Amino acid sequence: MHIPDGYLGPTTCGFFYVVMLPIWAFASRIVKKTLDAKQVPLLAIGAAFSFMIMMFNVPIPGGTTGHAVGGVLVAILLGPWAACIAITVALVVQALLFGDGGITAVGANCFNMAFVLPFTGYYIYKAIGYNAPCDSTRRVIAAGIAGYCALNIAAGLTGFEFGIQPLLHKTANGQALYCPYGLNVALPVMLGEHLLVFGWVEAIVTALVVKYLLKQAPELFAEKGGYPCK
Amino acid sequence: MKYNKFIESSLRGTLSFLRASVFSDGYALEKGFLQSIDPRINLLTVIIFLVTALFTRNMVVVLCLYGVCLALASLSRINLGFFLKRTWIFIPLFSLFIAIPALFNIITPGDELAGFTIGGVSLAITRQGLSGAALFVARVITSVSFVVLLSLTTRHFALLKVLRVFRIPKVFVMVLGISYRYIYLFIEIIENTYLAIKSRAGGEIPRKQGRHIVAGNIASLWLRSYRMNEAVYGAMVARGYDGEPVLANDFKTKTRDWVWLSLVLVAVLVLFYFSAQGRFGSI
Repeated sequence: MHIPDGYLGPTTCGFFYVVMLPIWAFASRIVKKTLDAKQVPLLAIGAAFSFMIMMFNVPIPGGTTGHAVGGVLVAILLGPWAACIAITVALVVQALLFGDGGITAVGANCFNMAFVLPFTGYYIYKAIGYNAPCDSTRRVIAAGIAGYCALNIAAGLTGFEFGIQPLLHKTANGQALYCPYGLNVALPVMLGEHLLVFGWVEAIVTALVVKYLLKQAPELFAEKGGYPCK
Repeated sequence: MKYNKFIESSLRGTLSFLRASVFSDGYALEKGFLQSIDPRINLLTVIIFLVTALFTRNMVVVLCLYGVCLALASLSRINLGFFLKRTWIFIPLFSLFIAIPALFNIITPGDELAGFTIGGVSLAITRQGLSGAALFVARVITSVSFVVLLSLTTRHFALLKVLRVFRIPKVFVMVLGISYRYIYLFIEIIENTYLAIKSRAGGEIPRKQGRHIVAGNIASLWLRSYRMNEAVYGAMVARGYDGEPVLANDFKTKTRDWVWLSLVLVAVLVLFYFSAQGRFGSI
Protein backbone atom coordinates (compact mmCIF):
# COMPACT_ATOMS: atom_id res chain seq x y z
CA MET A 1 0.00 0.00 0.00
CA HIS A 2 3.08 2.24 0.08
CA ILE A 3 2.74 4.61 -2.88
CA PRO A 4 6.14 5.12 -4.55
CA ASP A 5 7.36 8.37 -6.15
CA GLY A 6 6.08 8.84 -9.69
CA TYR A 7 2.66 7.23 -9.22
CA LEU A 8 0.86 10.38 -8.08
CA GLY A 9 0.97 13.76 -9.78
CA PRO A 10 2.12 16.98 -8.08
CA THR A 11 -1.47 18.12 -7.36
CA THR A 12 -2.29 14.98 -5.38
CA CYS A 13 1.07 14.93 -3.59
CA GLY A 14 0.78 18.61 -2.65
CA PHE A 15 -2.86 18.23 -1.60
CA PHE A 16 -2.07 15.44 0.86
CA TYR A 17 0.91 17.30 2.33
CA VAL A 18 -1.41 20.28 2.93
CA VAL A 19 -4.06 18.00 4.48
CA MET A 20 -1.54 16.22 6.71
CA LEU A 21 0.22 19.35 8.07
CA PRO A 22 -2.58 20.37 10.48
CA ILE A 23 -3.17 16.70 11.38
CA TRP A 24 0.51 16.27 12.34
CA ALA A 25 0.48 19.57 14.26
CA PHE A 26 -2.71 18.60 16.09
CA ALA A 27 -1.41 15.08 16.79
CA SER A 28 1.81 16.40 18.35
CA ARG A 29 -0.20 18.86 20.48
CA ILE A 30 -2.62 16.17 21.67
CA VAL A 31 0.16 13.69 22.37
CA LYS A 32 2.17 16.30 24.29
CA LYS A 33 -0.89 16.98 26.41
CA THR A 34 -1.92 13.38 27.07
CA LEU A 35 1.40 11.55 27.33
CA ASP A 36 3.64 12.46 30.25
CA ALA A 37 7.39 12.90 29.72
CA LYS A 38 8.00 9.32 30.82
CA GLN A 39 6.04 8.02 27.86
CA VAL A 40 7.96 9.88 25.16
CA PRO A 41 10.13 6.82 24.41
CA LEU A 42 6.83 4.96 23.95
CA LEU A 43 6.19 6.93 20.77
CA ALA A 44 9.56 5.81 19.44
CA ILE A 45 8.78 2.23 20.47
CA GLY A 46 5.43 2.52 18.67
CA ALA A 47 7.17 3.82 15.54
CA ALA A 48 9.76 1.05 15.54
CA PHE A 49 7.02 -1.46 16.32
CA SER A 50 4.86 -0.40 13.37
CA PHE A 51 7.99 -0.61 11.17
CA MET A 52 8.65 -4.12 12.46
CA ILE A 53 5.09 -5.50 12.10
CA MET A 54 5.56 -5.34 8.34
CA MET A 55 8.58 -7.60 8.70
CA PHE A 56 6.58 -10.44 10.27
CA ASN A 57 5.48 -12.73 7.48
CA VAL A 58 2.25 -14.57 8.16
CA PRO A 59 1.51 -17.95 6.52
CA ILE A 60 -1.55 -17.68 4.24
CA PRO A 61 -3.33 -20.32 2.13
CA GLY A 62 -1.57 -21.30 -1.08
CA GLY A 63 1.81 -21.82 0.58
CA THR A 64 2.72 -18.18 0.41
CA THR A 65 3.12 -15.43 3.02
CA GLY A 66 1.82 -11.90 3.52
CA HIS A 67 2.40 -9.19 6.07
CA ALA A 68 0.14 -6.93 8.09
CA VAL A 69 0.40 -3.13 8.22
CA GLY A 70 -0.41 -3.01 11.92
CA GLY A 71 -1.91 0.50 11.91
CA VAL A 72 -5.02 -0.55 13.81
CA LEU A 73 -3.02 -2.56 16.32
CA VAL A 74 -0.79 0.42 17.11
CA ALA A 75 -3.91 2.62 17.43
CA ILE A 76 -5.51 0.18 19.88
CA LEU A 77 -2.31 0.06 21.93
CA LEU A 78 -1.33 3.73 21.88
CA GLY A 79 -4.50 5.61 20.96
CA PRO A 80 -5.15 7.03 17.47
CA TRP A 81 -3.22 10.32 17.81
CA ALA A 82 -0.06 8.72 19.16
CA ALA A 83 -0.44 6.02 16.49
CA CYS A 84 -0.63 8.77 13.86
CA ILE A 85 2.79 10.10 14.97
CA ALA A 86 4.29 6.63 15.38
CA ILE A 87 3.18 5.42 11.93
CA THR A 88 4.24 8.71 10.31
CA VAL A 89 7.73 8.25 11.76
CA ALA A 90 7.82 4.64 10.54
CA LEU A 91 6.72 5.73 7.04
CA VAL A 92 9.35 8.50 6.93
CA VAL A 93 12.09 6.04 7.96
CA GLN A 94 10.90 3.62 5.27
CA ALA A 95 10.74 6.30 2.56
CA LEU A 96 13.97 8.06 3.41
CA LEU A 97 16.25 5.18 4.29
CA PHE A 98 14.86 2.20 2.42
CA GLY A 99 13.05 3.69 -0.58
CA ASP A 100 9.83 1.98 0.52
CA GLY A 101 7.14 4.52 -0.37
CA GLY A 102 8.02 7.76 -2.10
CA ILE A 103 9.25 10.97 -0.48
CA THR A 104 6.91 13.09 -2.61
CA ALA A 105 4.11 10.68 -1.66
CA VAL A 106 4.77 10.81 2.11
CA GLY A 107 1.73 13.07 2.57
CA ALA A 108 -0.58 10.65 0.74
CA ASN A 109 0.91 7.56 2.39
CA CYS A 110 0.56 9.15 5.82
CA PHE A 111 -3.03 10.14 5.10
CA ASN A 112 -3.92 6.56 4.14
CA MET A 113 -1.86 4.62 6.66
CA ALA A 114 -1.15 7.02 9.55
CA PHE A 115 -4.50 8.81 9.63
CA VAL A 116 -7.39 6.93 7.97
CA LEU A 117 -6.17 3.43 8.90
CA PRO A 118 -5.60 3.97 12.66
CA PHE A 119 -8.56 6.29 13.17
CA THR A 120 -11.19 4.20 11.40
CA GLY A 121 -9.79 1.03 12.94
CA TYR A 122 -9.66 2.49 16.43
CA TYR A 123 -13.25 3.75 16.34
CA ILE A 124 -14.61 0.53 14.82
CA TYR A 125 -12.82 -1.40 17.59
CA LYS A 126 -14.20 0.99 20.19
CA ALA A 127 -17.76 0.82 18.83
CA ILE A 128 -17.90 -2.99 18.63
CA GLY A 129 -15.93 -3.64 21.82
CA TYR A 130 -17.75 -0.94 23.77
CA ASN A 131 -17.78 -1.68 27.50
CA ALA A 132 -16.69 -5.28 26.94
CA PRO A 133 -14.76 -6.82 29.84
CA CYS A 134 -11.11 -7.69 29.33
CA ASP A 135 -11.68 -11.42 28.95
CA SER A 136 -14.50 -10.95 26.46
CA THR A 137 -14.05 -12.42 22.99
CA ARG A 138 -16.03 -9.42 21.71
CA ARG A 139 -12.85 -7.35 22.07
CA VAL A 140 -10.87 -9.85 19.99
CA ILE A 141 -13.56 -10.00 17.31
CA ALA A 142 -13.78 -6.19 17.38
CA ALA A 143 -10.01 -5.95 16.79
CA GLY A 144 -10.23 -8.37 13.84
CA ILE A 145 -13.18 -6.56 12.23
CA ALA A 146 -11.48 -3.20 12.82
CA GLY A 147 -8.27 -4.45 11.18
CA TYR A 148 -10.13 -5.86 8.18
CA CYS A 149 -12.41 -2.86 7.59
CA ALA A 150 -9.80 -0.16 8.20
CA LEU A 151 -7.26 -1.79 5.89
CA ASN A 152 -9.83 -2.07 3.12
CA ILE A 153 -10.94 1.54 3.56
CA ALA A 154 -7.29 2.64 3.34
CA ALA A 155 -6.72 0.39 0.32
CA GLY A 156 -9.84 1.77 -1.38
CA LEU A 157 -8.54 5.27 -0.76
CA THR A 158 -5.15 4.37 -2.24
CA GLY A 159 -6.92 2.91 -5.28
CA PHE A 160 -8.94 6.11 -5.58
CA GLU A 161 -5.77 8.23 -5.46
CA PHE A 162 -4.22 6.09 -8.22
CA GLY A 163 -7.44 6.12 -10.23
CA ILE A 164 -7.87 9.89 -10.37
CA GLN A 165 -4.40 10.43 -11.88
CA PRO A 166 -5.49 9.95 -15.53
CA LEU A 167 -8.34 12.40 -14.85
CA LEU A 168 -6.04 15.02 -13.35
CA HIS A 169 -2.95 14.65 -15.51
CA LYS A 170 -3.18 13.82 -19.18
CA THR A 171 -1.63 15.38 -22.28
CA ALA A 172 -3.84 16.80 -25.02
CA ASN A 173 -3.44 13.61 -27.09
CA GLY A 174 -4.55 11.35 -24.22
CA GLN A 175 -1.18 10.22 -22.85
CA ALA A 176 -1.17 9.46 -19.10
CA LEU A 177 1.55 11.25 -17.13
CA TYR A 178 1.46 9.36 -13.84
CA CYS A 179 -0.39 6.18 -12.80
CA PRO A 180 -1.97 5.15 -16.13
CA TYR A 181 -5.01 3.33 -14.72
CA GLY A 182 -8.34 5.02 -14.13
CA LEU A 183 -10.80 4.38 -11.30
CA ASN A 184 -12.40 1.49 -13.20
CA VAL A 185 -9.12 -0.48 -12.96
CA ALA A 186 -7.21 0.91 -9.94
CA LEU A 187 -10.08 0.75 -7.46
CA PRO A 188 -11.18 -2.88 -8.08
CA VAL A 189 -7.55 -4.09 -8.19
CA MET A 190 -6.57 -2.41 -4.92
CA LEU A 191 -9.80 -3.38 -3.19
CA GLY A 192 -9.85 -6.91 -4.61
CA GLU A 193 -6.44 -7.97 -3.29
CA HIS A 194 -7.09 -6.39 0.12
CA LEU A 195 -10.63 -7.73 0.48
CA LEU A 196 -9.50 -11.23 -0.48
CA VAL A 197 -6.00 -11.55 1.01
CA PHE A 198 -4.33 -8.72 2.90
CA GLY A 199 -7.45 -7.66 4.82
CA TRP A 200 -7.65 -11.14 6.33
CA VAL A 201 -3.96 -11.08 7.25
CA GLU A 202 -4.52 -7.74 8.98
CA ALA A 203 -7.63 -9.04 10.75
CA ILE A 204 -5.96 -12.23 11.99
CA VAL A 205 -2.78 -10.48 13.19
CA THR A 206 -4.70 -7.66 14.93
CA ALA A 207 -7.15 -10.05 16.60
CA LEU A 208 -4.54 -12.60 17.72
CA VAL A 209 -2.15 -9.98 19.10
CA VAL A 210 -4.98 -8.24 20.99
CA LYS A 211 -6.12 -11.64 22.32
CA TYR A 212 -2.61 -12.45 23.49
CA LEU A 213 -2.10 -9.05 25.13
CA LEU A 214 -5.53 -9.09 26.81
CA LYS A 215 -4.57 -12.38 28.41
CA GLN A 216 -0.95 -11.63 29.26
CA ALA A 217 -0.98 -7.90 30.02
CA PRO A 218 -4.52 -6.49 30.38
CA GLU A 219 -3.03 -3.55 32.31
CA LEU A 220 -1.72 -2.20 28.99
CA PHE A 221 -5.29 -1.51 27.92
CA ALA A 222 -5.78 0.72 30.94
CA GLU A 223 -2.97 3.08 29.90
CA LYS A 224 -3.82 6.60 28.85
CA GLY A 225 -3.47 6.04 25.13
CA GLY A 226 -5.20 2.66 24.87
CA TYR A 227 -8.78 1.64 25.33
CA PRO A 228 -9.15 0.73 29.03
CA CYS A 229 -10.37 -2.65 30.27
CA LYS A 230 -13.59 -2.45 32.23
CA MET B 1 13.14 -24.08 1.67
CA LYS B 2 9.56 -25.20 1.24
CA TYR B 3 8.67 -25.76 4.89
CA ASN B 4 7.91 -22.97 7.32
CA LYS B 5 8.19 -20.33 4.67
CA PHE B 6 6.97 -17.64 7.05
CA ILE B 7 10.04 -18.17 9.24
CA GLU B 8 12.35 -18.04 6.23
CA SER B 9 10.69 -14.91 4.82
CA SER B 10 10.85 -13.10 8.14
CA LEU B 11 14.51 -14.04 8.58
CA ARG B 12 15.20 -12.88 5.01
CA GLY B 13 13.49 -9.58 5.83
CA THR B 14 15.67 -8.98 8.87
CA LEU B 15 18.75 -9.97 6.92
CA SER B 16 17.98 -7.60 4.05
CA PHE B 17 17.42 -4.77 6.51
CA LEU B 18 20.79 -5.38 8.16
CA ARG B 19 22.48 -5.78 4.78
CA ALA B 20 20.98 -2.50 3.56
CA SER B 21 22.17 -0.70 6.70
CA VAL B 22 25.67 -2.16 6.57
CA PHE B 23 26.05 -1.39 2.84
CA SER B 24 24.79 2.15 3.20
CA ASP B 25 27.03 2.87 6.15
CA GLY B 26 29.94 1.42 4.19
CA TYR B 27 29.29 3.69 1.20
CA ALA B 28 28.48 6.70 3.40
CA LEU B 29 31.99 6.47 4.87
CA GLU B 30 33.68 6.45 1.43
CA LYS B 31 35.43 9.65 0.33
CA GLY B 32 33.17 10.30 -2.66
CA PHE B 33 31.51 13.44 -3.98
CA LEU B 34 28.11 13.34 -2.28
CA GLN B 35 29.65 12.06 0.95
CA SER B 36 31.65 15.30 1.14
CA ILE B 37 28.49 17.42 0.90
CA ASP B 38 26.69 18.57 4.04
CA PRO B 39 23.82 16.09 4.66
CA ARG B 40 21.32 18.99 4.78
CA ILE B 41 22.35 20.19 1.32
CA ASN B 42 22.40 16.58 0.13
CA LEU B 43 18.79 16.07 1.22
CA LEU B 44 17.74 19.43 -0.21
CA THR B 45 19.28 18.74 -3.63
CA VAL B 46 17.72 15.28 -3.81
CA ILE B 47 14.33 16.82 -3.02
CA ILE B 48 14.90 19.37 -5.81
CA PHE B 49 15.67 16.53 -8.22
CA LEU B 50 12.63 14.56 -7.04
CA VAL B 51 10.30 17.54 -7.43
CA THR B 52 11.71 18.22 -10.91
CA ALA B 53 11.12 14.58 -11.86
CA LEU B 54 7.61 14.85 -10.44
CA PHE B 55 6.65 18.03 -12.29
CA THR B 56 8.18 17.43 -15.70
CA ARG B 57 6.05 16.12 -18.54
CA ASN B 58 9.03 15.51 -20.75
CA MET B 59 10.79 12.15 -21.15
CA VAL B 60 14.11 13.81 -22.10
CA VAL B 61 14.15 15.76 -18.82
CA VAL B 62 13.51 12.56 -16.84
CA LEU B 63 16.27 10.73 -18.73
CA CYS B 64 18.67 13.67 -18.13
CA LEU B 65 17.89 13.45 -14.42
CA TYR B 66 18.47 9.69 -14.44
CA GLY B 67 21.83 10.27 -16.17
CA VAL B 68 22.76 12.85 -13.52
CA CYS B 69 21.80 10.35 -10.81
CA LEU B 70 24.01 7.60 -12.30
CA ALA B 71 26.89 10.06 -12.75
CA LEU B 72 26.54 11.18 -9.12
CA ALA B 73 26.49 7.55 -7.96
CA SER B 74 29.68 6.93 -9.90
CA LEU B 75 31.33 10.12 -8.53
CA SER B 76 30.35 8.98 -5.05
CA ARG B 77 32.28 5.73 -5.56
CA ILE B 78 29.21 3.51 -5.60
CA ASN B 79 29.56 0.35 -7.64
CA LEU B 80 27.21 0.91 -10.59
CA GLY B 81 26.24 -2.76 -10.86
CA PHE B 82 25.27 -2.79 -7.20
CA PHE B 83 23.45 0.53 -7.58
CA LEU B 84 21.44 -0.62 -10.61
CA LYS B 85 20.49 -3.87 -8.90
CA ARG B 86 19.53 -2.07 -5.71
CA THR B 87 17.41 0.53 -7.52
CA TRP B 88 15.66 -1.65 -10.14
CA ILE B 89 14.59 -4.29 -7.64
CA PHE B 90 11.73 -4.09 -6.58
CA ILE B 91 9.56 -1.02 -7.26
CA PRO B 92 10.69 -0.08 -10.82
CA LEU B 93 10.49 -3.69 -12.03
CA PHE B 94 7.05 -3.98 -10.50
CA SER B 95 6.06 -0.69 -12.17
CA LEU B 96 7.38 -1.95 -15.50
CA PHE B 97 5.27 -5.07 -15.08
CA ILE B 98 2.08 -3.20 -14.21
CA ALA B 99 2.65 -0.66 -17.01
CA ILE B 100 2.41 -3.37 -19.70
CA PRO B 101 -1.42 -3.46 -19.99
CA ALA B 102 -1.41 0.35 -20.30
CA LEU B 103 0.43 0.00 -23.62
CA PHE B 104 -2.72 -1.37 -25.27
CA ASN B 105 -5.77 0.35 -26.64
CA ILE B 106 -8.06 -1.31 -24.07
CA ILE B 107 -6.52 0.95 -21.39
CA THR B 108 -5.03 3.80 -23.44
CA PRO B 109 -6.86 4.48 -26.69
CA GLY B 110 -4.97 6.45 -29.33
CA ASP B 111 -2.88 6.20 -32.50
CA GLU B 112 -2.24 2.52 -33.17
CA LEU B 113 1.39 1.48 -33.68
CA ALA B 114 1.09 -2.32 -33.88
CA GLY B 115 -1.97 -4.53 -33.77
CA PHE B 116 -2.51 -8.28 -33.22
CA THR B 117 -5.20 -10.73 -32.19
CA ILE B 118 -5.03 -12.99 -29.13
CA GLY B 119 -7.81 -15.57 -28.68
CA GLY B 120 -10.17 -13.66 -30.93
CA VAL B 121 -9.58 -10.34 -29.17
CA SER B 122 -7.84 -7.73 -31.28
CA LEU B 123 -5.32 -5.63 -29.38
CA ALA B 124 -3.13 -2.74 -30.46
CA ILE B 125 -0.21 -0.91 -28.88
CA THR B 126 -0.90 2.80 -29.03
CA ARG B 127 1.56 5.70 -29.27
CA GLN B 128 -0.04 7.31 -26.21
CA GLY B 129 0.10 4.04 -24.27
CA LEU B 130 3.75 3.47 -25.11
CA SER B 131 4.93 6.99 -24.29
CA GLY B 132 2.77 7.16 -21.14
CA ALA B 133 4.10 3.83 -19.83
CA ALA B 134 7.70 4.76 -20.71
CA LEU B 135 7.41 8.10 -18.92
CA PHE B 136 5.79 6.43 -15.92
CA VAL B 137 8.53 3.80 -15.54
CA ALA B 138 11.33 6.34 -16.22
CA ARG B 139 9.91 8.68 -13.59
CA VAL B 140 9.65 5.88 -11.03
CA ILE B 141 13.19 4.56 -11.60
CA THR B 142 14.66 8.08 -11.52
CA SER B 143 12.90 8.96 -8.26
CA VAL B 144 13.76 5.64 -6.61
CA SER B 145 17.40 6.00 -7.73
CA PHE B 146 17.74 9.46 -6.18
CA VAL B 147 16.31 8.27 -2.86
CA VAL B 148 18.60 5.21 -2.82
CA LEU B 149 21.54 7.47 -3.73
CA LEU B 150 20.70 9.71 -0.78
CA SER B 151 20.39 6.84 1.66
CA LEU B 152 23.66 5.30 0.42
CA THR B 153 25.76 8.45 0.61
CA THR B 154 24.49 9.83 3.92
CA ARG B 155 24.73 8.07 7.23
CA HIS B 156 21.25 7.04 8.27
CA PHE B 157 21.44 8.67 11.65
CA ALA B 158 22.60 11.98 10.12
CA LEU B 159 19.84 11.78 7.53
CA LEU B 160 17.17 11.58 10.22
CA LYS B 161 18.73 14.48 12.09
CA VAL B 162 18.73 16.81 9.08
CA LEU B 163 14.94 16.76 8.97
CA ARG B 164 15.22 19.72 11.34
CA VAL B 165 15.98 21.84 8.27
CA PHE B 166 12.30 21.56 7.39
CA ARG B 167 11.24 22.91 10.79
CA ILE B 168 9.76 19.57 11.77
CA PRO B 169 8.86 19.64 15.49
CA LYS B 170 11.76 18.51 17.66
CA VAL B 171 9.65 15.75 19.17
CA PHE B 172 9.34 14.13 15.71
CA VAL B 173 13.09 14.33 15.11
CA MET B 174 13.82 12.89 18.55
CA VAL B 175 11.29 10.10 18.09
CA LEU B 176 12.85 9.34 14.68
CA GLY B 177 16.30 9.02 16.24
CA ILE B 178 15.20 6.80 19.10
CA SER B 179 12.96 4.63 16.93
CA TYR B 180 15.80 3.99 14.49
CA ARG B 181 17.88 2.55 17.34
CA TYR B 182 14.88 0.52 18.47
CA ILE B 183 14.51 -0.98 15.00
CA TYR B 184 18.01 -2.47 15.36
CA LEU B 185 17.12 -3.90 18.74
CA PHE B 186 13.84 -5.33 17.46
CA ILE B 187 15.57 -6.85 14.45
CA GLU B 188 17.96 -8.63 16.76
CA ILE B 189 15.10 -9.91 18.95
CA ILE B 190 13.14 -11.20 15.92
CA GLU B 191 16.18 -12.83 14.39
CA ASN B 192 17.08 -14.66 17.60
CA THR B 193 13.50 -15.73 18.28
CA TYR B 194 12.92 -17.02 14.76
CA LEU B 195 16.23 -18.84 14.68
CA ALA B 196 15.25 -20.50 17.96
CA ILE B 197 11.83 -21.50 16.55
CA LYS B 198 13.46 -22.77 13.36
CA SER B 199 15.97 -24.89 15.24
CA ARG B 200 13.27 -26.40 17.45
CA ALA B 201 10.69 -27.09 14.73
CA GLY B 202 11.35 -30.58 13.48
CA GLY B 203 8.82 -30.65 10.64
CA GLU B 204 6.43 -28.32 8.93
CA ILE B 205 4.48 -26.00 11.22
CA PRO B 206 0.74 -26.01 10.31
CA ARG B 207 -0.51 -22.66 8.95
CA LYS B 208 -2.85 -22.06 11.88
CA GLN B 209 -0.10 -22.66 14.40
CA GLY B 210 2.20 -20.50 12.30
CA ARG B 211 -0.21 -17.59 12.57
CA HIS B 212 -0.33 -18.03 16.35
CA ILE B 213 3.46 -18.06 16.49
CA VAL B 214 3.65 -14.81 14.52
CA ALA B 215 0.96 -13.10 16.62
CA GLY B 216 2.56 -14.31 19.86
CA ASN B 217 5.89 -12.94 18.72
CA ILE B 218 4.45 -9.56 17.76
CA ALA B 219 2.69 -9.35 21.13
CA SER B 220 5.74 -10.39 23.12
CA LEU B 221 7.87 -7.90 21.17
CA TRP B 222 5.45 -5.18 22.24
CA LEU B 223 5.47 -6.36 25.86
CA ARG B 224 9.24 -6.52 26.08
CA SER B 225 9.75 -3.12 24.54
CA TYR B 226 6.90 -1.56 26.51
CA ARG B 227 8.48 -2.70 29.75
CA MET B 228 11.78 -1.25 28.58
CA ASN B 229 10.18 2.16 28.21
CA GLU B 230 10.90 3.18 31.79
CA ALA B 231 14.55 2.13 31.55
CA VAL B 232 14.96 4.17 28.36
CA TYR B 233 13.36 7.18 30.01
CA GLY B 234 15.72 6.72 33.00
CA ALA B 235 18.68 6.68 30.60
CA MET B 236 17.42 9.86 28.93
CA VAL B 237 17.05 11.62 32.28
CA ALA B 238 20.53 10.49 33.29
CA ARG B 239 21.84 12.18 30.14
CA GLY B 240 20.14 15.47 30.90
CA TYR B 241 16.65 15.12 29.37
CA ASP B 242 14.22 17.43 31.16
CA GLY B 243 11.10 17.02 29.05
CA GLU B 244 12.27 19.23 26.18
CA PRO B 245 14.28 17.56 23.44
CA VAL B 246 17.68 19.20 22.80
CA LEU B 247 19.35 18.31 19.52
CA ALA B 248 23.06 18.90 18.98
CA ASN B 249 23.79 20.84 15.81
CA ASP B 250 26.97 19.34 14.42
CA PHE B 251 26.48 20.10 10.73
CA LYS B 252 28.68 22.61 8.95
CA THR B 253 28.13 23.99 5.47
CA LYS B 254 31.17 24.87 3.38
CA THR B 255 31.43 26.98 0.23
CA ARG B 256 31.39 23.87 -1.96
CA ASP B 257 28.00 22.90 -0.47
CA TRP B 258 26.49 26.22 -1.54
CA VAL B 259 28.16 25.98 -4.97
CA TRP B 260 26.66 22.51 -5.43
CA LEU B 261 23.19 23.68 -4.37
CA SER B 262 23.38 26.66 -6.77
CA LEU B 263 24.57 24.40 -9.59
CA VAL B 264 21.64 22.04 -9.04
CA LEU B 265 19.17 24.91 -9.00
CA VAL B 266 20.60 26.40 -12.20
CA ALA B 267 20.64 22.99 -13.93
CA VAL B 268 17.02 22.33 -12.98
CA LEU B 269 15.91 25.78 -14.16
CA VAL B 270 17.74 25.28 -17.47
CA LEU B 271 16.03 21.90 -17.92
CA PHE B 272 12.62 23.45 -17.28
CA TYR B 273 13.39 26.38 -19.60
CA PHE B 274 14.44 24.17 -22.51
CA SER B 275 11.51 21.88 -21.88
CA ALA B 276 9.07 24.83 -21.92
CA GLN B 277 10.70 26.12 -25.12
CA GLY B 278 10.04 22.76 -26.73
CA ARG B 279 13.77 22.11 -27.36
CA PHE B 280 13.39 18.51 -26.20
CA GLY B 281 10.52 17.78 -28.55
CA SER B 282 7.04 16.76 -27.52
CA ILE B 283 7.95 13.35 -26.03
